[in-house]
Amino acid sequence: MAVELKTIEHLCELSKLDYDENGMKKVMGEMSDIIDLMDEIKSFDLNYDDTKDGNEIRFCDTREDVPEESFPTEKLLSNAENTDGCYVVPKVVE
Amino acid sequence: MDLTRAKIRDLRKALDTKEISAAELCGEYFKKIDEKDGNVLSYITVTKDKALKDAENAQKLIDEGRVSALTGIPLAIKDNICIDGVKTTCASKMLENFVPPYNATVIEKLNEQGYVLLGKTSMDEFAMGGSTQTSAFAKTKNPYDLERVPGGSSGGSAAAVSASLAPAALGSDTGGSIRQPSSFCGVTGIKPTYGRVSRYGLVAFASSLDQIGPICSDARDCAVMLNAICGHDRHDATSARVDTPDFTEKLGQPINGMKVALPKEFYEQGIDNVIKTAVMNAAHELEKQGAILVDCSMPSLKYAIPAYYLIACAEAASNLSRFDGIKYGFRGEGRTFEELIRDSRSKGFGEEVKRRILLGNYALSSGYYDAYYKKALALKQEIIRQYDKIFEQADVILTPTAPTPAYKIGEQDNDPVKMYQADICTVTVNIAKLPGISTTCGYTENGLPIGMSFIGKRFDEQTILQAADAWEQGFQTVAPKL
Repeated sequence: MAVELKTIEHLCELSKLDYDENGMKKVMGEMSDIIDLMDEIKSFDLNYDDTKDGNEIRFCDTREDVPEESFPTEKLLSNAENTDGCYVVPKVVE
Repeated sequence: MDLTRAKIRDLRKALDTKEISAAELCGEYFKKIDEKDGNVLSYITVTKDKALKDAENAQKLIDEGRVSALTGIPLAIKDNICIDGVKTTCASKMLENFVPPYNATVIEKLNEQGYVLLGKTSMDEFAMGGSTQTSAFAKTKNPYDLERVPGGSSGGSAAAVSASLAPAALGSDTGGSIRQPSSFCGVTGIKPTYGRVSRYGLVAFASSLDQIGPICSDARDCAVMLNAICGHDRHDATSARVDTPDFTEKLGQPINGMKVALPKEFYEQGIDNVIKTAVMNAAHELEKQGAILVDCSMPSLKYAIPAYYLIACAEAASNLSRFDGIKYGFRGEGRTFEELIRDSRSKGFGEEVKRRILLGNYALSSGYYDAYYKKALALKQEIIRQYDKIFEQADVILTPTAPTPAYKIGEQDNDPVKMYQADICTVTVNIAKLPGISTTCGYTENGLPIGMSFIGKRFDEQTILQAADAWEQGFQTVAPKL
């Protein structure tokens, strides 16, 4: 099944990704092949029963809500490219 | 000291008897890395300065007689496991300069034992791939044939152990990423049961499938490594509150009466004859040791690839949404917040990572969710049910680890579908949260290793280690000539 351009554009929007014209053509072809492979699952005729899933996280096991010392701000900011004691981003509101 | 496929237990003895010091030992490995890794490209970062400090600390412990199994043992760590102050790139331009401000829990545990860090090993970008050729920094080669892939995604770890550039390493396994490269590189790697080892500090790919585990020369070393890194962790709510046995306990015990299941679908179409023959020969050798072979079936295997990729990519799309170029990672350009994020992600991620994000968002998006993602979850339940049924009549399951031996570099580069289908032998183990170990069971005519996998019941790593060890005691491995 060939994936339509508008579907890929929608997925790019959801994924916050951009492609140039050639890249878009290439990824459309690849995604069509991949989705053909994924479509094999449609012939499997059981439905998901969420009551049968083991809940891996027992919420009674969560740790006490006690304040603890966190990471030093300076250390965390050291991985950001543009900082001035805080994360610097382009203007969000004009 | 000859370090060719040196075992942790032998290095332990050499350190404890003062045959060699911790600093000399890591120095020997760095010498080998300097000589050989230019060809193999297993490491992204080599940490000589840190290693000398680690070795000094380890030597003190040894001299004071406060020795643990890994005190002074040099190890390599996959580059998606965070180490405080050491670059952790995930083999991605996105994290090229990322230095974690904390240690993963497995690193804290290794530190408690006084291990020595040799460096961070290469991998497929964000652990997405089976060849280590999607690495942005070191496209690792197979030590048995430098024109072939080492497998992936933990290809750097497996190649480093295979080429004796580390005695053991940590990898991570989301759909086969420890077992498949172990198979291609002729070493032994175990993916523990989901929840056995904390994932805190492992850069997330698919959180319900990811698991950290060791890659070593043999099952005995895997048991020692697993002893060191397992256990519940308050930082990871999915780490299990279960007893942690001594994983070395059953090593060396006879496998007389052990029931070994052979699901027929793992030996059918799509698996190379040379692989089938080698694994079946091994099965008959185990039978001679007293194991009982059990025929069985796993019909849902034919849906395993789409089920795995839909679940894994859906989780990856969510996990990787944190990479926006703001707090850490590659920062692109843009006049607005939106433009900045899109540019950072478009330029920071490689092609395979982007494909998987797109697929994940496709599976989760309105109109497709029920047809793909929920169907994959239904398959997950069915795969678990079928494994449970097999384990009613067997102690372990034996399968090939990969459908082919290591293939030529570039052979699958332009065909993501072919690449995904190559994961058929390993992905169901992650889906069902089971433990699996890959060990070498033979070599092809041109000397490439062939791997087989023992799959165990949940939290029964001991039995698969026992089975792999029983096989290894009667099998002669051949180290690569580099």
